[in-house]
Amino acid sequence: MNEAELLLALKSALARAGEPEADLYAQLSRRGFARFAVGRLDQHMALEEPQALARVARGRRVAEVATTDLSEAALLAAIQAAAKLAPRVPEDPSFTGFAALDQPPAAATAPRFAAATASCDAERRVDLLAPALEAVTSAGLVPTGALDTALTVQAVATTHGLARAHTGTSAVFKIWALESAGAGGAAGHGHDAGIDVERLDIESETRRAIDDALRSRQPIALPAGEYDTVLEAPALSELVEWLGMIGFGAREFQQGSSPLSERLGQRISGSALDVVEDPFGPHGFASPFDRDGVTRQRVTLIERGVARGVLCDRAWAPRIGRNSTGNASPAGSFSEGGPVPATLVVSGGSAESTDELVRGVERGLFVRRLHYVNGMLEPRRAVMTGLTRDGTFLIENGKLTHPVRNLRFTDSLLEAFERVDAVTRAQRVVPNWWLESGVTVAPAVRIRRFRFSSGSQRAPDPS
Amino acid sequence: MPVSARVRALAAAALDHARRDPAVEYAEVRWVDERSERLRIRDGAPDGIAQNTSSGFGVRVLAGGAWGFACTPIVDEGALVRAIDAATAIARASARVAKIKAQLLPAEAQRGCYTTPLGVDPFSVALEQKLADLERAEAELRRGGGAIKSAEAAMSWTEVHKLLLTSEGTDVEQHFVYGGAGMQAHAIGDDGSAQRRSFPGTPGTEALQGGYEIVERVSLAEHAPRIRDEAIELLQAAPCPDGLRDVILGSNQMALQIHESCGHPSELDRALGTEISLAGGSFLQPEQLGKLRYGSPIVTLTADATSEAGLGTFGWDDEATPARKTALVEEGVFVDYLSSRETAAALGRRSTGTVRASSWNRLPMIRMVNVSLEPRDGTLDELVADTADGVLFDVNKSWSIDDLRLNFQFSCEVAWEIKHGKRVRLLRDARYTGMTPEFWRGCDAICGPNEARIWGIDNCGKGDPMQTMQVAHRAPPARFRKVEVGHS
Repeated sequence: MNEAELLLALKSALARAGEPEADLYAQLSRRGFARFAVGRLDQHMALEEPQALARVARGRRVAEVATTDLSEAALLAAIQAAAKLAPRVPEDPSFTGFAALDQPPAAATAPRFAAATASCDAERRVDLLAPALEAVTSAGLVPTGALDTALTVQAVATTHGLARAHTGTSAVFKIWALESAGAGGAAGHGHDAGIDVERLDIESETRRAIDDALRSRQPIALPAGEYDTVLEAPALSELVEWLGMIGFGAREFQQGSSPLSERLGQRISGSALDVVEDPFGPHGFASPFDRDGVTRQRVTLIERGVARGVLCDRAWAPRIGRNSTGNASPAGSFSEGGPVPATLVVSGGSAESTDELVRGVERGLFVRRLHYVNGMLEPRRAVMTGLTRDGTFLIENGKLTHPVRNLRFTDSLLEAFERVDAVTRAQRVVPNWWLESGVTVAPAVRIRRFRFSSGSQRAPDPS
Repeated sequence: MPVSARVRALAAAALDHARRDPAVEYAEVRWVDERSERLRIRDGAPDGIAQNTSSGFGVRVLAGGAWGFACTPIVDEGALVRAIDAATAIARASARVAKIKAQLLPAEAQRGCYTTPLGVDPFSVALEQKLADLERAEAELRRGGGAIKSAEAAMSWTEVHKLLLTSEGTDVEQHFVYGGAGMQAHAIGDDGSAQRRSFPGTPGTEALQGGYEIVERVSLAEHAPRIRDEAIELLQAAPCPDGLRDVILGSNQMALQIHESCGHPSELDRALGTEISLAGGSFLQPEQLGKLRYGSPIVTLTADATSEAGLGTFGWDDEATPARKTALVEEGVFVDYLSSRETAAALGRRSTGTVRASSWNRLPMIRMVNVSLEPRDGTLDELVADTADGVLFDVNKSWSIDDLRLNFQFSCEVAWEIKHGKRVRLLRDARYTGMTPEFWRGCDAICGPNEARIWGIDNCGKGDPMQTMQVAHRAPPARFRKVEVGHS
């Protein structure tokens, strides 16, 4: 089903239903997901991910019915089911109707479709992965990771005449080179993401994973404490993704738990923290509109440490007296969430490289990635905890000297950015961990006195 | 809506199609038909009144020593045959780089049905009654206004029909109904500080298999005044002091502790290295079976897919292994894994029957079932009375654990300082941290069966792409000696 066919089915179902106030969103992803571990492709899948969401309003009473059947008959049935439900639900005083035709056109967006990704089949995925598997194995390490290629068609139509559709592709590669399959030990990681599977830099990223794993052998242990720390882009991106979940949406803003609540216009962090929601750039996979049909916007969220903006969808915007920014939760989230970011971008600085950041550290830590970050400790302060992973090194006199066993940090991201004194110019695109459909774009940063709350990981004593 | 004759005939025909390919060593066709309902009231207004249906076929094929998986939402023979062919083609392509051939231990064909025991069918209860139950509780949370900035009450119900046919002759049909209700209050202090209180536990833990009787038992409105008061009181509470203290985990937090530090590390696929790309490995390695002292001798942890009402209860797993109860840790010693037919075979053991897929379009994989701490004796009040200097933690707020499931740090919505056998004050932003085996070896008291509530976790994440699964934990409160505590 292409975008024209999907849009036609939506418009036709809406017309046949004859509801005065309704909208219909549908999305179909076809994914080839090749997940490999312990030397083989043991989870290689062809995935169909259909989802349609029909919403009908009777006055200010709104109900939603979702289905995985994208046939016109099923879409019509979903609208009719929502219409039966709507009169029975309480009024939502903030409901302002579904999106109208007056949506501004999306800003010029970088290309979002690559034919090579759309047509990538199982044989091609294996062709692309085989050299990576071989390279890791030849280095005496265990390869693990995934190649995900997806073609996604989206369409939305409302009874106010809005009708738009979009086709995009995404390709994500991630690889680990491991000293042991599942028992810990040295590990290195590489990843790349973009719209075109043939442009992924699988070779270099595999090399990066191998190199980090090889130089992570025989790590030393370090105690808890404050360390001047260089966080590489993948590490910082995970913290910023969490900031997106606890801080940038209108729901958290309204309930008072966001670091931005009641603080718009105020300085909440160091001047190195500059975050925008930028769905239009060459990074990421964001469509021009959200599931409400609203055109996405570039939103400045934190500008040189000052809280500036909040992400909204049509349901939440009136509740905080703002307009939708086109950040309705993606389809499939089933009304669980409030507005969410699609592409968070942290501004780069002036440092030429991470080497330059490292050179400015007398004794500290270099952290490639983080594991299992959680930002729910004190969301107002953005206190987060997590562990280092896949490449942690001691910095001595401006050089990486020893691999270090993983440590746990616990610190406020906002307060830590008060202590950031250098940021790389270059940024990397990192696929999100929690917000599966999005990416975060981040530079590497140097944080003075980053707080590590637990010393290095150690194996359990068997007795 | 039991599985229709047409769906069954299509699945059988697809399986016949797979069998005709001599390269196919094993094939399975799984039909999943799900409907669900989510209702949420927030700050006096609806915030998502939604129904959902999802149905389709998932097919898994073993050919040439490699697996392939494909799926289709389309209920016709052509689509299903294309899915079988796609899965077979994937298996063939993957076999090109397979240095180790996948092997599935033969299993006896299974036949039969499983159905969730239901009191009141939640889909037969009027929407108006469900909403009224939520509105009453939510309004009570906001009563008096003041520091309560936002409140919500939510309910969800899911019904799943599942059919599994395999090339070994298995034909099992299962019908699940599960759900529950919970609520939250958000309090904001004059200084901008924020506190959250949830009931009956961390959001997502209230769900069980069963019917509307679950909501009636929970009685949200009855507990709302206490939850509201605690949220407000937390704003003025002292932060949890840093130090080494005896820690008592309440039942809800114990469920999370079991989940993260026993459930996940005992997944055999994780231990063997196939889960690195999402959540890591495990400190529980095969050579430690029967040897590693995981906990103190009073600690026995089990995986039980037969226990009543748990979200991890079923008749058969998604590889047709019959539901069973397995000790993972017996009297403190690590003795078994959550496993599949393939991973168990790698260790020369039998599957413990823990394979499930979250939907028709996801690959079956090892998941927790009902992983539980076996109760001992006594009540929570008695345990508090027996504690000279400690902190009682309950209802999880944040969770983080390392990639081997060793170093954990959890914070809770509420904590009480205990002095000389009494709860003396409420503490805010309390967290505790530890190393899994050391923590469990310090367990010196576990409450009895009357305190061991079963909690659902309906959002357990695993797999890549992420699969959200329903699991459960029977969790008696317990005490742990000399644990590092503090505040965020």
